[in-house]
Amino acid sequence: MRKIEDGTVIDHIPAWKADLVLRVLRLQRLAKSELDVSVAVLQNVVSGRLGRKDVIKVDRWRIDENEADILCLIFPTATINYIKRWKVFKYSPMVPDTIEGRIRCPELLCISNAEREPLSTMFYTLKTERMLQCRYCDTLLDFGKIPDFVRV
Amino acid sequence: MKAEDFAGRDIITMRDFSREELEFIFDSTKEIESGRPGGPLDGKLVALIFYEPSTRTYSSFEIAAERLGCRTTGFSSPEKSSVAKGETLHDTIRMYEGYGVDCIVMRHNLMGAARFAADLTKVPVVSGGDGSREHPTQAMVDLYTIRKAFGKIDGLRIGILGDLKYGRTASSLSYGLSNYDVEITFVAPESLTTRKEIDHFLSERGVGFTKTKDVRDVVGSLDVLYVTRIQKERIPDPTEYERARGVYQINLSLLKEGKKGLRVMHPLPRVDELSSDVDESEYAQYFVQAAAGVPLRMALLSMVVAK
Repeated sequence: MRKIEDGTVIDHIPAWKADLVLRVLRLQRLAKSELDVSVAVLQNVVSGRLGRKDVIKVDRWRIDENEADILCLIFPTATINYIKRWKVFKYSPMVPDTIEGRIRCPELLCISNAEREPLSTMFYTLKTERMLQCRYCDTLLDFGKIPDFVRV
Repeated sequence: MKAEDFAGRDIITMRDFSREELEFIFDSTKEIESGRPGGPLDGKLVALIFYEPSTRTYSSFEIAAERLGCRTTGFSSPEKSSVAKGETLHDTIRMYEGYGVDCIVMRHNLMGAARFAADLTKVPVVSGGDGSREHPTQAMVDLYTIRKAFGKIDGLRIGILGDLKYGRTASSLSYGLSNYDVEITFVAPESLTTRKEIDHFLSERGVGFTKTKDVRDVVGSLDVLYVTRIQKERIPDPTEYERARGVYQINLSLLKEGKKGLRVMHPLPRVDELSSDVDESEYAQYFVQAAAGVPLRMALLSMVVAK
């Protein structure tokens, strides 16, 4: 893959977890877009910090900051770099107080899963406990389980 | 604190209520039980919309509203409404708001439905139970009953028994008790023990609690034994239900192992978990508990429905 002029590098992903990152970020949708995007995935490569890591490089695509924040909840070791005209800008993720819409409630009988009711999910972030809590039914969801419930 | 502080307020979860607010509600309830009329709310209209069957909650809200001079409208089961035609909760709430009701009291089978309804409308929404999550006014009735029986809630040891995983009364009571200096013991088979959400909330609040499967381990130390039904309609797996039902049978023989002054409570209806041989004993508090439902709901509606 050529050096990225404009794009995103997601580094320090835990080894063999890149597929989860691709799913969370819905990067598979890029295949159906008309954008001239390239994606390179490195898996289980040597890392001074983690021992082993995965890396995802996406040329001509910028990760949305809200998506980056959610990603860093799931993978706290991950680092996000924006590349703009060959220059690297490190993104500092924020832990959001709430997350709306992107994550489905694990409780099937939550009103937020009722098909015909017009509402989005909303979760509060419990930072110390590393959990989300559904605003409607108070169900707790570990950060690590978010990929199982992210809307793709 | 004044009654006006509650005007227009939604009543969705016990987690929203402070000790000071609960005590104010209980003091108002006591006044109403003593003969203070409450309200008047003449000309006010309360919608009662119940998507699940109810005897006590529906009737007590209906009676409470009428005693305050309100008129009531709505439905006691979805078959009697456009819900049977597939109308969404969203549309139903907007409709009642458009009709100019002053309060919506609702019970719904889906969790979080009351919160959603409250988001949709400026009209105060009072939850009569949503799914297996919460039943805040029942918990207020329960706490009021405990306060009335003992003159206090602090310092008591409360056992909550039965279906703690799917039982909304157990959840709401646990949240409400977190405002007091109490010790809670949860008594349930492992498959029906408290959800992690309750454990987390109580731990955050510094409320001490223990768990056991056998009521005999703790009956001798309790001040209150709160009994709940193993609810077939809430347990998705029929095998789990069959395993759990009949595990507990609270009867006079067991209660004689309890300490003097032990009170037994139950939100009712009961099936076979609480024997009728307890009814006329000094332990039985559940009919007093049920009767408190009307004055407490009168107190709540008086405060919540804007004059």
